Amino acid sequence: MRRLFLKLLGYGFLMLVALELLVRLFYLGKDTPIRIVDENGVEKWRPIQNGFSVTGNRRQNFSAYHINNSGFNSYREYLPTKDKIEIALVGDSFIEGFHQNYYSSTGRKIERKLPGVEVYEYGYAGYDMADQLHLIHAYKKKFDLIDHVVIGVKFSNDLRRSEYQISQERIRLENPRNRLLKKSKLLVYTKSIGLLDPVSRMGSDVINLLKQKTAPLAVNTIKSKDSLYLNNFEMLVQKYGFDKDRFVLLLDKDKTSSLFTDYLEVNNFNYIDFSKTLKESKKPTTLIYDMHWNNHGRNLIAEIIAEYIKGRPEVR
Amino acid sequence: MAFNSLSYFIFLPVVFLLYWFIFNKKVKIQNLLILSASYFFYGLWDWRFLFLILASTVVDFLVGKAIYATKWNRTKQKIWLWTSIVFNISLLGFFKYYNFFADSFLDMFQLFGYTIKSSWTLNIILPVGISFYTFQTMSYSLDIYYGRLKPTKDFLSFATFVAFFPQLVAGPIERASNLLGQIVKKRKFVYGQCVSGLQLILWGLFKKMVIADGIAPIVDDIFANYGSYPASTLILGVTLFSFQVYGDFSGYSDIAIGTAKLFGIELMSNFKFPNFSRNVAEYWQRWHISLSTWFRHYVYIPLGGSRVGKLLSVRNICIIFLVSGFWHGANWTFIFWGAFHALAFIPVFLMGRNTIYKNTVVAERTILPTLKELGQILLTFSIVTFSRIFFRSESLTDAFSYIERIFSNFEYVQYNHPLGYRMVDYFILLALFVVYEYCIRRDERNPFKFRSRGVRFMLYTLVVFSILLFYDSGFDRSFIYFQF
Repeated sequence: MRRLFLKLLGYGFLMLVALELLVRLFYLGKDTPIRIVDENGVEKWRPIQNGFSVTGNRRQNFSAYHINNSGFNSYREYLPTKDKIEIALVGDSFIEGFHQNYYSSTGRKIERKLPGVEVYEYGYAGYDMADQLHLIHAYKKKFDLIDHVVIGVKFSNDLRRSEYQISQERIRLENPRNRLLKKSKLLVYTKSIGLLDPVSRMGSDVINLLKQKTAPLAVNTIKSKDSLYLNNFEMLVQKYGFDKDRFVLLLDKDKTSSLFTDYLEVNNFNYIDFSKTLKESKKPTTLIYDMHWNNHGRNLIAEIIAEYIKGRPEVR
Repeated sequence: MAFNSLSYFIFLPVVFLLYWFIFNKKVKIQNLLILSASYFFYGLWDWRFLFLILASTVVDFLVGKAIYATKWNRTKQKIWLWTSIVFNISLLGFFKYYNFFADSFLDMFQLFGYTIKSSWTLNIILPVGISFYTFQTMSYSLDIYYGRLKPTKDFLSFATFVAFFPQLVAGPIERASNLLGQIVKKRKFVYGQCVSGLQLILWGLFKKMVIADGIAPIVDDIFANYGSYPASTLILGVTLFSFQVYGDFSGYSDIAIGTAKLFGIELMSNFKFPNFSRNVAEYWQRWHISLSTWFRHYVYIPLGGSRVGKLLSVRNICIIFLVSGFWHGANWTFIFWGAFHALAFIPVFLMGRNTIYKNTVVAERTILPTLKELGQILLTFSIVTFSRIFFRSESLTDAFSYIERIFSNFEYVQYNHPLGYRMVDYFILLALFVVYEYCIRRDERNPFKFRSRGVRFMLYTLVVFSILLFYDSGFDRSFIYFQF
């Protein structure tokens, strides 16, 4: 029996080493840039970092990223002036676009459709409306020079806060233990394909067992949740400002409460709805193992934004 | 608790350690642990199912004793045997076939223009593994009846034999003469047996998680949307399904056999590389062996087997294939599947070629098969694969529409999965799998039979690596044969 355990341990260790080497050899595990909080209290990536983002099994999506001097994933630097026309895309991972080559991002696609226009992508995974409006507020001088600001919003999870605070949960990802774990590409890969999900689910199941069970949300609760999110939006707008002439929200109307869209229409907030275009697409618009937009999806989004901008009086 | 779940990977080492370190003193204690673990394993699906397995165990334990006690009176023996058969078949009939018969009865009336509004169909959950353990307990009573076995006096051992968790939910369907004989004796730890068990578990996981689960989303898409695909895609779909069902079921069997080995128990082989069969008869000697031998021993031979005239033999063949089809599921598609195999088997039987490949493998003394053998393998594989259209389709209408589209819409169009799966990955994977299986075709119980430790290690690593490459978290990974 002792022999069996010793051999299992030995083989197990050697296999982990061999798998780590194989995962590195085939570049299956993604690189993760380092995040920081700058002097304005904005959470973003540390400037000037390069690497590759990998999504899905067998490198089904492999793309390069480049963090520019502003701390965002983009091929260009953000230097707005009064003379040029600039568009800022502010949003979460969909705008950040680690699942695409940084040189063929949504912003780049818009630039190709609108020659002479510069697009600045302020995307960061996990950003919600509080993060986004706070960022615009913190970089006010820069944003005042930008002609159009497109702000992505997912109603179901972007309006849970009425005030910006640094997300400690994300910052904890930078602690030495987590950085050390990320050095193992095998661990990064197995986590990214969901192989470790049952382990974490089991952990959370145990925690939930110990906690009190939460009842499913009743219709009334959902309605009050919508009102709460709307209220949060109002408070954020009040706190950080919202220039209705230059700012436009980018949303999927099918996944947005009508309470919110009605509010936007009544109060003259502009919004771009991409639900119909993506739904009517004959080709898939998202990646296989990931819900982010694929190249075709990004093309469609770029088209919608470009059409909106073309319709604006400043561009016409 | 499925073999490919995290809970099983916690459950198995815990039971293993308890078995060899704490409960290893006496055979009774070993069996008590295995029985408790088996009931726990089974009860996790639905604790109510435990009453069924317990009822089946008690009935056959008592019937076995009664048959033996009345051995001088054949009529009484027959009565006891039929008690067991009727009880077990009733269990199966109610839980598995009741709705099928009720529906078919109503459909028959509709054929004659009568519509009966009824609420005859019941909302019954099919207890996992019921087709397997009922057959196993019946085989005990049948073996005693035929004088092949003496009944055990030890209820604990018998209950352990019925509920032994590695093979409880999807076989192999063991005979008491093999498994019970091992359970009544104290097991000793044997290093080689344990290693061999772990190897089989690894190979089984590969077949399930890489081969079966890898291609499942493609098969699901093609069968769900067969109406919009050309013949080339439909042929691809059913061919991939052939590999899927093989990987799924033989993978399960390998894990079951491997797990049993960890506890010092040898289960019978259930698959012997059926994809290399040279005719349909050989295929049935290599596919789901525990079921085909069950039908052979307990249905075909008692009916006279092939010792009766040709006509009666053909009748017997038809009966076992139809029953075998029906055993798989309460659907006409399975009955047609069985009938199709009977039709494919009968010519082989009439030509006297049904046993010519028994106990031999393709390219027995050479590295490569002859052209003739290759042709035979491809033909057999095609026949078997074609039959799987019935096996996989939801209804007979779907199956015939699928076949009709193959012949009426005969064109080649490259298949692209709607989600964009890279098809070349799967073709390479299957090609490598077939080549590797060919290399190990002589010994189904030793998938890593290479002398060099380095080669073995490399293979283990590649197997685990391919699991990492093809693991799909968004896919339901239950075993196909659990539904039977």
